Amino acid sequence: MRKVIGTLLAIALVTGVALVANRPGPAGAQGGGTIEATVTYAGAPVVEKLKVNKDTEKCGTEASIEKVVVGANKGLANAVVSVPGAKGVPKAVKTTVDQHGCKFVPHVTAMTPGELDLKNSDDILHNIHTYSTANPSINKAQPKFKKVMTEKFEKPEMIKLTCDVHSWMLGWVAVMPNPFFGVTGADGTAKIENVPPGKYTVEAWHETLGKQTKEVEVKAGQATKVAIEMKK
Amino acid sequence: MRPGVLAVVVGALLVIGIPSLVAAQAGDATAGKAVYELKCMGCHGDKGDGKGAAAELLMPRPRDFTSGLYKIRTTANKVPTDQDLFRIITDGMPGTSMPSWAVLPDRDRWNLVAYIKAFAADKFKEAPKKLELPKEVASSAESIKRGKEMFEAIECHKCHGTEGRGDGPSRAELKDEWGHPIAPANLTKRWTFRGGAFRTEIATRLAAGVLGTPMPTFIDSVEKPEDIWHLTNFILSLGPDSPHYATLVGVTAVSDAIPDDPNADFWKKLTPNNIPLMGQVIVDPRNFNPAIDLVSVRAVYNDREIAFHLTWDDPTQSTDDPGKKLYADAISLQFPPQPSSGSERPYFLMGDASDAVYLLRWEGGKGVTESTANGPTKIAAIPGAEATGKAVYASGQYRLVMKRALVSKDATRPTFTPKAFMPVAFQAWDGGAGETGARMSLTSWYYLRLEEPQSSRRFVIPPVVAILTLAVMLLVVRVANRRA
Repeated sequence: MRKVIGTLLAIALVTGVALVANRPGPAGAQGGGTIEATVTYAGAPVVEKLKVNKDTEKCGTEASIEKVVVGANKGLANAVVSVPGAKGVPKAVKTTVDQHGCKFVPHVTAMTPGELDLKNSDDILHNIHTYSTANPSINKAQPKFKKVMTEKFEKPEMIKLTCDVHSWMLGWVAVMPNPFFGVTGADGTAKIENVPPGKYTVEAWHETLGKQTKEVEVKAGQATKVAIEMKK
Repeated sequence: MRPGVLAVVVGALLVIGIPSLVAAQAGDATAGKAVYELKCMGCHGDKGDGKGAAAELLMPRPRDFTSGLYKIRTTANKVPTDQDLFRIITDGMPGTSMPSWAVLPDRDRWNLVAYIKAFAADKFKEAPKKLELPKEVASSAESIKRGKEMFEAIECHKCHGTEGRGDGPSRAELKDEWGHPIAPANLTKRWTFRGGAFRTEIATRLAAGVLGTPMPTFIDSVEKPEDIWHLTNFILSLGPDSPHYATLVGVTAVSDAIPDDPNADFWKKLTPNNIPLMGQVIVDPRNFNPAIDLVSVRAVYNDREIAFHLTWDDPTQSTDDPGKKLYADAISLQFPPQPSSGSERPYFLMGDASDAVYLLRWEGGKGVTESTANGPTKIAAIPGAEATGKAVYASGQYRLVMKRALVSKDATRPTFTPKAFMPVAFQAWDGGAGETGARMSLTSWYYLRLEEPQSSRRFVIPPVVAILTLAVMLLVVRVANRRA
């Protein structure tokens, strides 16, 4: 009996050590490569305009709902580029979304599971209304005197953020399973650093255009370029 | 042995873990299904997704049980208690199409609870967590004042309007979790509150929000937890506890001139007669979700004129713009053109081919008109209008004064006679909600009665009687004394 337990323990130990040894170093470790992604979209931008009937001193007189933002060279902004297959420990980085000028800034926030600070720098009532399935959805009032609220998002998921007081306000929180992600800027590019070398599927996600993937090979100390075209 | 242990463990878990459920009865979902298919399916659908045959016509829409989201709950998390569900089935939801099912035996209602939970079994895996309300604060002038401050600080008016009539600037943008338009509550009519109008019910809605709707939770978003109670006290101060519906519209006699201004103090001194209105569902286009559910009537007359002061809530002031499906707001009073000898009255829905009605109508942008109607689509203006009127609109409410000569010169208009009972009916249109023509809210016939002018003799006769009585008594005493 003892022998059996001993053997099992030994196996468990060896497996554990092997697992730890195989695990790539956390972000910043040496030997990682960089993915330089460019996300493009050939279609037309979709920006809905709306006349504002309240809080105009904070929100302006015209609100725009930026559903598809296309910049120079067809670069698509607000796309989340990620490497779902890469192994890495999510590190706790406090992420912030601001409600500023009756907009969620940034429009798309990517984070690893953990806490998100929701700022209200508008000095008027907003309400944080999330649409999610894996995480509990919330609908909390954030009056002007409540400058910051902290919410926890524990499970990877794309979460829609809305405000019912200002129906045009739309934002997304991308809760990612690992720290290898980036959100494209106005030029459609995003950089993911310290990716452990290996062959991966790179994924680009956009709120209205959906998902596209591409295979890449990341080499230690090198930058790998990947171009992903989003289609309707 | 084993099943025994299991039963004890389960029992202990039930008692310790979810004390709020102790009083609830465990329902039988299979038995509940049979009741559901008979009573609930028409609106909530056979799959429980809220897409029954009648769903399209209802506003708000029937609950989608597959979502597991429930508006009215007494819990801090998303899961309602069995009692929460049982209560809504039993009491219904005021202001919606959900009726009270108290007619069903208790057993059936508990079985229904079990069955509707089964539509979203995974959502009910989590145990309901009781909401702890802050310590109750009784109502006082001070508490109401603090409640008003908080109402303004947390900007309740954005949806509910500055005076609470559900006319806030965000009103038109509001959508529920399913993308259907949803209206904010009119806080001055608390008998329409979906989850009830008791103090704790209002405080619970404020603290925990109304799930699936834009109404957020406020328990962590007020300055101090007890502000929930100050807000509750303020909301309770916004309107009466019940509409106290009238059965007869009394018309008060006055000797002075009648003011034209609907905001004049003169009108505030009169008791309103509150009349409930229903959607017109007899002829096409039917109005299953009428926007206007109540009109308050104050009526007076003097030796020359009769005047009607009408007050009704309408969240939007609108004029004709058919391209946007917007129409002028309007209201009308309906009378038989001539008094009838018996109890015979024209058809209440604007008369018919054989018996016409007289309409005294106000319309936004047009003012007061008089017409003869032989049905909702056969309306002819009466030439030589004798009526006048003035309307004001503020904070989600219309106030209107319409005046007319007491005695009519022709047979198309009624003459109002003191002491006689006169049939009257009301129709109203919220043009901003797309109401026009037959798409209206209305009443059937009511009666109004011109009260007798109060004579000044009431100040003379009683003292005279008193003095005479005293004199007789003195006389009797004197006679008796003399005899003795």
